[in-house]
Amino acid sequence: MARDRSQREDYTTPLKRLLIAVTCLCLLVIFIVWRIDSPRVERFRAQVVDAVVPNMEWAMVPVTGAINLVRDFQSYQRLSEQNQELRSELRQMQAWKEAALQLEQENARLLDLNNVRLDPRLTYITGVVMADSGSPFRQSVLLNVGSRDGVRDGWAAMDGIGLVGRISGTGRNTARVILLTDAASSVPATIQPSGQSALIAGDNSAAPVIDFLENPDKLRPGDRVITSGDGDVFPAGLLIGQVASDPSGRLRVRLSADYERLEFLRVLRHHGTEGIYSPGGLVAPPPGAPLPRPRPENLGADNG
Amino acid sequence: MASTSPAHIWLMRAAFPALALLIVFFRLLPLDTVPRQWAPPDLLMAMALAWSLRRPDYVPIVLLALTLLLADLMFQRPPGLLALLVLLGCEYLKPRALTHRDTGFAAEWISVSLVLTAITVFNRTALALVGVQQAPLGLILIQMLLTIAAYPLVVFVSQSILGVRRLTSTELETLGIRL
Repeated sequence: MARDRSQREDYTTPLKRLLIAVTCLCLLVIFIVWRIDSPRVERFRAQVVDAVVPNMEWAMVPVTGAINLVRDFQSYQRLSEQNQELRSELRQMQAWKEAALQLEQENARLLDLNNVRLDPRLTYITGVVMADSGSPFRQSVLLNVGSRDGVRDGWAAMDGIGLVGRISGTGRNTARVILLTDAASSVPATIQPSGQSALIAGDNSAAPVIDFLENPDKLRPGDRVITSGDGDVFPAGLLIGQVASDPSGRLRVRLSADYERLEFLRVLRHHGTEGIYSPGGLVAPPPGAPLPRPRPENLGADNG
Repeated sequence: MASTSPAHIWLMRAAFPALALLIVFFRLLPLDTVPRQWAPPDLLMAMALAWSLRRPDYVPIVLLALTLLLADLMFQRPPGLLALLVLLGCEYLKPRALTHRDTGFAAEWISVSLVLTAITVFNRTALALVGVQQAPLGLILIQMLLTIAAYPLVVFVSQSILGVRRLTSTELETLGIRL
């Protein structure tokens, strides 16, 4: 028997080793190709996800619902104390609501005076969150809208209040949103009221870091952080959150979007901001154009 | 014996990717959209190692590679690298399945811990070499330790519920032709 086995191993082991080597080589090649030509492999990944995840949706929705139900039940234990908190919050909110109504009326009057037209191209598609990244090291969610719905890479995704992330990777029926908290995410932003521009860089924590800031002294916790539209990344003026500083003194953004419950996300259609490339006819005449007539000499003398 | 019949082997070969898909499914549920301070154990990796040590014929190399690659793609990891390392770890353990049969579980657990540590170290080194952005070291260490801690549980579930246990010597004889 022992001799039998050794003879058989002589025959099968090299074949097996060859198979192992070939398989490992394939995996290595996939990794190297990904490193060299990342966009192509990421597109392939988006297609694989697009093929697999929608098939799971029928089971995902009820399971997610059930787990959330259990979590909600756990929170019932703190019901009475939550009720107290909510009451006191409500009292504050009523004061705020009064202020907001007055501001809204004022805003409407001012807009009317200015005859302002809000950007009509900033429409949105609403998608439902199907899945998260599945890995503790990456922060992203998968939406159930994709290239079929006209979603394109780079568009902004918001919940009702604030920016959530950007589209990165679209399949036919799905699109991945890289959240602002992901380590690979950075968004150019403006901080109001000081008007400084900065970069909001995610670092796998709940509050992204404010980076490349010119003058940190001018910031105060509570300042509003909005997108600046620099680099044509996002439309300008989307709310990101508020400035806060962590215990070690680093400035971070407390995000306005409710990351605990990402359920419905708006994907803003954004077709790029128009750049201004010519100096403009009023500032200086284009070269070769006839010079405007000089101002009559006696005009100023009459007035003065 | 039932567990050595070809039908049963093919059934268990189908069960491995099915379980992997189940793990992927539960990880993908959109429950944690806030970054956490800890990382859950990588059950798929533990399962691949446990099955390789118990029944190498249930996890043929091509099946293992495809399943791990799918997990890489679904979890937004660099595709191929972790799959390659886990595959090498499994293939390293497979020939040692027979020796571990005699030494008991503690020795097996230690060798699996060493393999998991090696996988983590090589993964991090390779990513550093090609200059890919890395996850925080703390999270990776937590995940590695939790995976090592979860390994006995995975083995227990595999053995008691799924029936993935080591073959007795008589069964080995009957299967000897195929192995």
